[in-house]
Amino acid sequence: MADRPAGTDIPVAAAESPAREAWRMFLRNRSAILGLVLLAAIVLVSLFGPPLYGVDPFKIQGAPFTPPGVDPNVPLGTDHVGRDILAGMIGGGRATLAVGASAALMTVAIGLLVGAMAGYYGGLVDEILMRITEFFQVLPSLILAMVLVALFTPSLYMIAIAIGVASWQSTARLARAEFLRLKELEYVKAGRTIGATDKRLIWVVILPNALPPLIVSATLIVGVAILFEAGLSFLGLGDPNIMSWGLMIGSSREYIFDSWWSATFPGAAIFLSVLSVSLIGDGLNDALNPKLRER
Amino acid sequence: MSVIRKSFAPTVVKAAIGAGLALSLAAGAAADTPKKGGTLVIGSPQTPRHLNPAVQSGVATGMPGSQIFATPLRFDENWNPQPYLAESWKVSADGLSVTLNLRKNAKFHDGKPVTSEDVAFSIDTIKKNHPFKTMFSPVAKVDTPDPHTAILRLSKPHPAILLAMSSSLCAIIPKHVYGDGKDAKRHPMNLKPVGSGPFRFVEYVKGQHIILERDPNFFLKGKPYLDKIIYKINKNSNSLALGLERGDIHLRAFNTKSRELGRLKKNKNLVVTAQGYAAIGPIAWLAFNLKNPILGKKAVRQAIAYAVDRKFINEALHSGLSKPALGPIAMGNPLADQNAKRYDLDLDKANKMLDEAGYPRKDGGTRFQVTLDTLLSQRDVAEYLKPQLKKVGIDVKLRIPPDFPTWANWVKSHEFDMTVDVVFNWGDPVIGVHRTYVTSNIRKGVIWSNTQSYSNPKVDALLEKAGVELDPAKRKQIYLEFQKIVTDELPVYWMYGLPYHTIYNKKVGNPPLTIWGTMGPMDNVYLK
Repeated sequence: MADRPAGTDIPVAAAESPAREAWRMFLRNRSAILGLVLLAAIVLVSLFGPPLYGVDPFKIQGAPFTPPGVDPNVPLGTDHVGRDILAGMIGGGRATLAVGASAALMTVAIGLLVGAMAGYYGGLVDEILMRITEFFQVLPSLILAMVLVALFTPSLYMIAIAIGVASWQSTARLARAEFLRLKELEYVKAGRTIGATDKRLIWVVILPNALPPLIVSATLIVGVAILFEAGLSFLGLGDPNIMSWGLMIGSSREYIFDSWWSATFPGAAIFLSVLSVSLIGDGLNDALNPKLRER
Repeated sequence: MSVIRKSFAPTVVKAAIGAGLALSLAAGAAADTPKKGGTLVIGSPQTPRHLNPAVQSGVATGMPGSQIFATPLRFDENWNPQPYLAESWKVSADGLSVTLNLRKNAKFHDGKPVTSEDVAFSIDTIKKNHPFKTMFSPVAKVDTPDPHTAILRLSKPHPAILLAMSSSLCAIIPKHVYGDGKDAKRHPMNLKPVGSGPFRFVEYVKGQHIILERDPNFFLKGKPYLDKIIYKINKNSNSLALGLERGDIHLRAFNTKSRELGRLKKNKNLVVTAQGYAAIGPIAWLAFNLKNPILGKKAVRQAIAYAVDRKFINEALHSGLSKPALGPIAMGNPLADQNAKRYDLDLDKANKMLDEAGYPRKDGGTRFQVTLDTLLSQRDVAEYLKPQLKKVGIDVKLRIPPDFPTWANWVKSHEFDMTVDVVFNWGDPVIGVHRTYVTSNIRKGVIWSNTQSYSNPKVDALLEKAGVELDPAKRKQIYLEFQKIVTDELPVYWMYGLPYHTIYNKKVGNPPLTIWGTMGPMDNVYLK
């Protein structure tokens, strides 16, 4: 990405065509479309499914350990307490996706802030911020998130924050690299000469041009965050009061030998959501990468 | 009144069979002659802190501890005391002294004889260090007129004393080893214990295994039958179950996982039994913090009791393996009130009671919100209680602790609304029951004390009386009265006896099924 054609080095806001071009590129990518359709379906079911299906995922709907397809009342069976798996599948998506999205947002927010400052100002600021980033980089992120969640009472907010705090480092490095590169370009220098403030240069001039790789990485982080939430719940650190796919797997973990269905279905849902955001991320990467555009 | 051994018929018969034979432990196995030799492998999920039960309660230490250390008495499966280190004993008529006549051939594993000095030292150590303060607190001193006679002098009659001298509760530890002035709780020899039990210590690797071997000089001639006992430690219950199925593990105790037990029951090489836990008396209950203004009301607690379906827990959650617990004394204990108030499921009644208590349903159908904590092992019950109490308009917010210390911290600092808890009876109510209900045991910072902050002067008085009543019939009357009060006031709502099960390979002869089960000596156990 080092040397873009000069023509693209203008703020995105000023030109509409690159965005439209990216969208066109994206639409040409079949797997990306598949991911988009899949994610749209998951989001729609999560948003409108619960009121339509109308079963509280915590409610005991049948005998514990009812296998799928036995009781029409609970088509996907029940878990070890007798809760409806289908209700959990439909109701659990909201929390899982919300954690995924907010954790990704959190990650990008921290990463961008740290990366932008380090890249733009350089020198001592860069040194300090990068040492902090490296400090977090060497900590195993799942374990850091576990500690954070265990220190405070597990709740959905805490989980999102923990995932954010545990996984912002690569975004910071990416943002720093982009800022380092972009700040030396002529239009930024021009901006500085005419007296633009640092704030304006960072957020209005450089940021829009640094966004494409960050958007791609944020998309991929959504997938990682969903897996994190599932992982934390699997280890018993999920929010027990909000149904999520991770919680379903976590609370059925002990019964895996007795009821494959109570962990398999939410597991499949997690798999599909992560797959869909990854496909979208790849599609975005191709679409936003000017080098690939000519293909 | 005096209690002398061989006091009633069944005991006489058993004693007549003699020390050389199994004490009718398993009717089926009685036909076989015990075989000598072999290594018994016991699977256990818990890593004991150390192996000295004189200063540490609990199953993890108790199981191997009872093999390494002998106790003055032992109990059979019908709650009858049996001679062990003491070949006979006598409780004085006023209940203020207990004379133990020790065996003359008993030796510690280092070859030194077991004397009355060791008994006096052990009881003193237990009194000072063991968490169960009530066990020996009435023992003012222990007289040692000769090396083989120990006389316990009590400050008040103490009907629990015989039980307190059995199994893992009263390990006789050698004074010449543990009496060197070091802190007994942190004594280095707690990890290399020297006792006088049927098996002596070989090796303990934390989190891995404990190896014990037969003591050839054990004071009961011809015992134990086994050459070795290995406790294999594996946190994962599923792995232990696989070990049982493969035959690598001969025995696993304290298993409550109903699905796993259901699977193991089908295995033709294995026996699954709930026998062997009578004295431990594990009761799972829903504890209320009475300082909470809502839960402080008796009607609210009773309404919650009416809203919980014990039958669902027993039959659906535990696949029929657990039994309801109706009151504070485990149902297997002769002192339990079998006709206690039952609180059978009645949602209408629960709703009505909550309305009348001043908590009508608000717009969303919710009356109030409370938090519910749980021990990790009973998580499924907490998960059941959440939607179940929602039916009567109580919004339950679960708090699942990441680990045991977190949970214990919440509860012992009285920072909880409700919690699912499991508390053991430990044989006699004086040891394991009083602590939950007496006012004097409302002690912040102590887990399994009266963390509910329940206080009723009448209950205090009754338990005080029951603690010194020597006549079993009168004592039972007092306890019945006590149970009537607490099952009405419900400082906790008893849900079920924890479905502890022992699984053993059919190769195991004379499996440990006394009231202490695997926490009792296994000198009779053999491998076919």
